[in-house]
Amino acid sequence: MAPLLEIRDLHASVGDKPILKGINLTINHGEIHAIMGPNGSGKSTMSYVLAGREGYEVTGGDIVMNGESLLEMEADERARAGMFLAFQYPVELPGVGGMGFLRAAVNARRLEAGEAEIDQLEFVKMVRAKATGLGINDDMLKRAVNVGFSGGEKKRYEILQMALLEPALSVLDETDSGLDVDALKIVSDGVNMLRDAQRSMLVITHYQRLLNHIVPDFVHILADGKIRRSGGKELALEVEESGYAGIDDAA
Amino acid sequence: MPGSMMQPDLGQIGALQGARAAAMARWQSNGWPDHRAESWRFTRLSAIDKMELRPAGDAGAMSVARPASLPANAVVLTFHNGIMDTAGLDALPAGVTASALDGNEAALDDLAGLVPAGHPISNLSVAAMTGGLCLDIVGHIAAPIILLFGGDDNAVSTHPVVLVKLASGARAVIGEWHQAAVGLSAPLVAIDVAADAALDYAKVQLDSHSTTHLAATGLRLGAGARFDGFQLSVGGKLARLETHVVLTGEDADCTLSAIYLGRNSQHHDITSNMAHNQGHCHSSQIIRGVLDDSARGVFQGKVYVAPDAQKTDGNQMSRALLLSRKAEANTKPELEIYADDVLCAHGATVGELDETQLFYLTSRGIRPEAARAMLIDAFLQDAIDGIGNADLAAMLRPVVDQWMTAGGNR
Repeated sequence: MAPLLEIRDLHASVGDKPILKGINLTINHGEIHAIMGPNGSGKSTMSYVLAGREGYEVTGGDIVMNGESLLEMEADERARAGMFLAFQYPVELPGVGGMGFLRAAVNARRLEAGEAEIDQLEFVKMVRAKATGLGINDDMLKRAVNVGFSGGEKKRYEILQMALLEPALSVLDETDSGLDVDALKIVSDGVNMLRDAQRSMLVITHYQRLLNHIVPDFVHILADGKIRRSGGKELALEVEESGYAGIDDAA
Repeated sequence: MPGSMMQPDLGQIGALQGARAAAMARWQSNGWPDHRAESWRFTRLSAIDKMELRPAGDAGAMSVARPASLPANAVVLTFHNGIMDTAGLDALPAGVTASALDGNEAALDDLAGLVPAGHPISNLSVAAMTGGLCLDIVGHIAAPIILLFGGDDNAVSTHPVVLVKLASGARAVIGEWHQAAVGLSAPLVAIDVAADAALDYAKVQLDSHSTTHLAATGLRLGAGARFDGFQLSVGGKLARLETHVVLTGEDADCTLSAIYLGRNSQHHDITSNMAHNQGHCHSSQIIRGVLDDSARGVFQGKVYVAPDAQKTDGNQMSRALLLSRKAEANTKPELEIYADDVLCAHGATVGELDETQLFYLTSRGIRPEAARAMLIDAFLQDAIDGIGNADLAAMLRPVVDQWMTAGGNR
């Protein structure tokens, strides 16, 4: 089977500043890859470039998902094609009701697939079922998107969206940041429940601790816009012990 | 400019007497505000004198389509080309007494004491009055009374003048719905809410895009009176909705919120003057504007607190959202406070849709035009949520939705 995602010699800039300087990465169906790296290595840029955020300009290379280049696709088209970004800092949308938002996202995906819009009652049932496992109560669901949510609640709400949208590729951008141990466990359990042979994930993190909960198949070390080393899950432990300091030298 | 050259041409109006003659004299000496008038700095009226207008002389075919979103139990009084269809008066509920304004000097005096002093329409529309109605209201009136303004002649100016008086303790729901295609629509409205009376009020301005809509409204609240008002300005080529409020008794409570939605080269102006003449009163104004293309929006809001009006609570917040680089918003909040124990907050912002919020929505697969609509809707939501009367809120909501849908493809 062809890989789900192929990143080929990807170069990207923010403004005039080159951030990604030749990334190569292949993710097959069902695999979980982790990208680790120090601050400023290009981790968040990579997540935004994949999701198609404006202002993150690809200056070279290609991103191919299911055999199709993503570069000419807008963020919403990429999402409907199966891309999902769990934000490091989920965005508050005052005045935008949570249920309406979730429903619009689910329906956008369904219409793209040629399916009918979801029935209102069925939708509420589906959201409640998935929300319960993530410790998200009705009160949170009724509020405006992310408004008045704690840091942990915002992250759980990201995972709820991921569960509802069933993406082929989920990019988790520093999902562990700002989480205490209990919240980390809830979020990780939520993510692990979504693991299956068809779904792939790219877990971006600064710290190894998230990878104790979401155990990756492969670990890549990103520094100064390039993947410097790749290995199995044990590479994360090595970084935990010796830090990122030696990585550049090894490359 | 000599009166004979001014538009509209009032030459066909016969000899006037009393208050209307006085209004005519003021109009002829003052006319339209010139370019030096500070309160008209952002809204220029010079285009009116290039039009050829005369006050409507007859109603024409008296058929004005009833908007679908009017409350089902509403009593509708129809004006066509500014002239009232008196047949509608028969349906007024008990407790509401209608009478003609023209020739009623006492009522015209009341009116003159309520409408914005020095405003051109306060003079012009009394002088050129095409329809004058006085409504006296006592007791609790359940059915909303909707004044429906239609029209189909671009060569005419319309000058409906309405005086509404709520007696002490009265309660009513009144709406104005404007959907005229005339040259100049110049409604003059005066509302007197006596002590402990309560009025829910909404105005929808959906005039044709060739119409200039200049409205002057005066409002007086007595002690313990409540006015919950909302204005929605969507139509017109140029529209200015100016409202002057005087709070004359303690514990009066006035809400005067507004939404304006502009597209193409439309010009929307919301101007208010909130005078706290007595202490212990509350006023609130939430203004939201959305401007696309090269539309322009103006909000001027003055809050005045008299020297002895202690414990005044007056707040005002205006936010404008620009959807295009060519759109423009001017805001001029003004506080004039002479009492020392007051709580007055005001603010004005002009901004664009938040790129980060848009990205968040589109990253979930929501199409950009739908994402923008969700954010615009959210931007307007707290202003709409503030409407206390459910019937009036339901009357306004489809107008906003329709405006959004009409622009959904850009």
